[in-house]
Amino acid sequence: MMKHPSEAVLALFAGGELGNWRRWSVRRHVAACPECRREVSDFSALREEVSAMSQLPDISSHQPNISWTKMAAEIRANIRLGLEAGECVSPQRPAARGIFSVRALAVCGSLALLLMAFLLERPTPRVDELKAPEASFLESSGSGIQVKEGGQAMMLLHPRARDVSYLASGNAMRARYVDTETGYVTINNVYAQ
Amino acid sequence: MRSKIAGLIVVSALLLCGQETQLDPRSSIQINFPLDSPVLALSTNVGESRATPRGGAMVVDLHMSLSLRNSGSRNIRGVTLLVTTQEVTAGGKASVAVPSLDVAPGQIFPVRIDLRLLRPLQAGGGPLVKVSLDGVLFDGLGFYGPNRLNSQRSMTVWEMEAQRDRQHFKSVLAAAGPDGLGREMLDSLARQAERPRIDVRVSRGGRAVSSAGAPEHMARFAFLTIPDSPVEAVDGWAEVAANEARTPTIRVVNRSSKPVDYVEIGWIVKDREGHEFLAGSVPAAEGNLFLPPGRTGRVLQDTSLRFSRNAGEPVSIASMTGFVSQVEFADGKVWVPNRLALQLSGLLRVVAASPEEQRLADLYRTKGLNALIEELRKY
Repeated sequence: MMKHPSEAVLALFAGGELGNWRRWSVRRHVAACPECRREVSDFSALREEVSAMSQLPDISSHQPNISWTKMAAEIRANIRLGLEAGECVSPQRPAARGIFSVRALAVCGSLALLLMAFLLERPTPRVDELKAPEASFLESSGSGIQVKEGGQAMMLLHPRARDVSYLASGNAMRARYVDTETGYVTINNVYAQ
Repeated sequence: MRSKIAGLIVVSALLLCGQETQLDPRSSIQINFPLDSPVLALSTNVGESRATPRGGAMVVDLHMSLSLRNSGSRNIRGVTLLVTTQEVTAGGKASVAVPSLDVAPGQIFPVRIDLRLLRPLQAGGGPLVKVSLDGVLFDGLGFYGPNRLNSQRSMTVWEMEAQRDRQHFKSVLAAAGPDGLGREMLDSLARQAERPRIDVRVSRGGRAVSSAGAPEHMARFAFLTIPDSPVEAVDGWAEVAANEARTPTIRVVNRSSKPVDYVEIGWIVKDREGHEFLAGSVPAAEGNLFLPPGRTGRVLQDTSLRFSRNAGEPVSIASMTGFVSQVEFADGKVWVPNRLALQLSGLLRVVAASPEEQRLADLYRTKGLNALIEELRKY
């Protein structure tokens, strides 16, 4: 099983920025691995493009506050940072790895811990939120007040009403109005059991 | 047995014909008043009542006009009728109350019941609706009736409010004359017209349907203090999410020298636009509250209320205010806020006018100032 160096290591290798021992081992791997060789080649081409950009006319004489050395150091640092970040989000290459690699074991262990924590501490949905369909309910509308349960309903209407007001009180709904036919104030109530 | 067979015949006929049918009052309605009742049912008219099959269900529109006679010896101030349906809503019940009456012995008065039932087509026989007497309130706050709906307390509260408001309007008449009374009535009519109309849906227990996944939070009540209230609300909260509030819980303390066994808290909600409306009331559960002097208790309601207007537009809850709207002492006496307290606290423009004020304002509107003055002089 061949283990590929990471993109960051390959990028640093392409820039000649690895230590002696690491550079020797990566060079051996790149010599035997066409895929990593291609990656190193891409990084080298990119490096040449960056070098070409450095041949642009010097404007520091017009902009005395610009320090090219400082900017180059910042760009380099940013490239490194970007490579590291890319390493985190890039998909794993299809290289075959050891089944019991330390990284795989660490990931599996973390997942197992997370799963256990979820099972132990999982949010329990409120029982009343799961009540469906609801047992019974009361409601007011323009034409009356009603109690509903399942597919059945009872509604007290107020067809000849003036000045209707509604009030919900405990397990009852109330409608109060003046009955224009009798002239009496009438108070209807429906109750939920 | 005969009524059951008649009911089955009606249902079978509807199934066969699949069209609107007029109801037979003898088989569809049962009126059951006690033998010693001070109110006698003289006649029942169900002229426009219909039963119409709709899909697998039957819609029954029952328009009933009852003629009742005061067969007792005292003036009647209010009547509450209990309306039950045998099959609809598993013991569902309703009531129709007529307060602010002044019915002398022997006098006849009408009560209308307009009811719509949605029931299975193949429901069993028997009367569709049973009407019985729950209570009668007399002059002097005497009461008769089985009181299964606690109509004694409700009618006593309405009568106390009626006495308070009649006294107020008589004082206005005495102090400012007919013109002043007319202005007061116009104010009352304007307040009634300007009160925001809100549709409310109540479900028992928790939330029935999640309301657009709005985040839920615990909202605290602010309280209006009414100076002479025997009970003070000291703390309260409810779970609120968008246009839905549930499980309101309020702590109250008895500031009076008498034990209290019932408290009702009025519940005002302010929406995001700053409109205030009376959302409902939070009553103490029957038989669950007994507050000796100085003791603290809790009033809570295991319901969920959802507010909307204009046929379904949600009304978002911005804040909530509570006030003690009625108290019943252990000796049966009832306290309601006085007129001045309602005015000073601003409640007068938020809460509905009392049944008596509503009646008097309607009398002024339909029959004029002289009829109103005549009415006030009767008391």
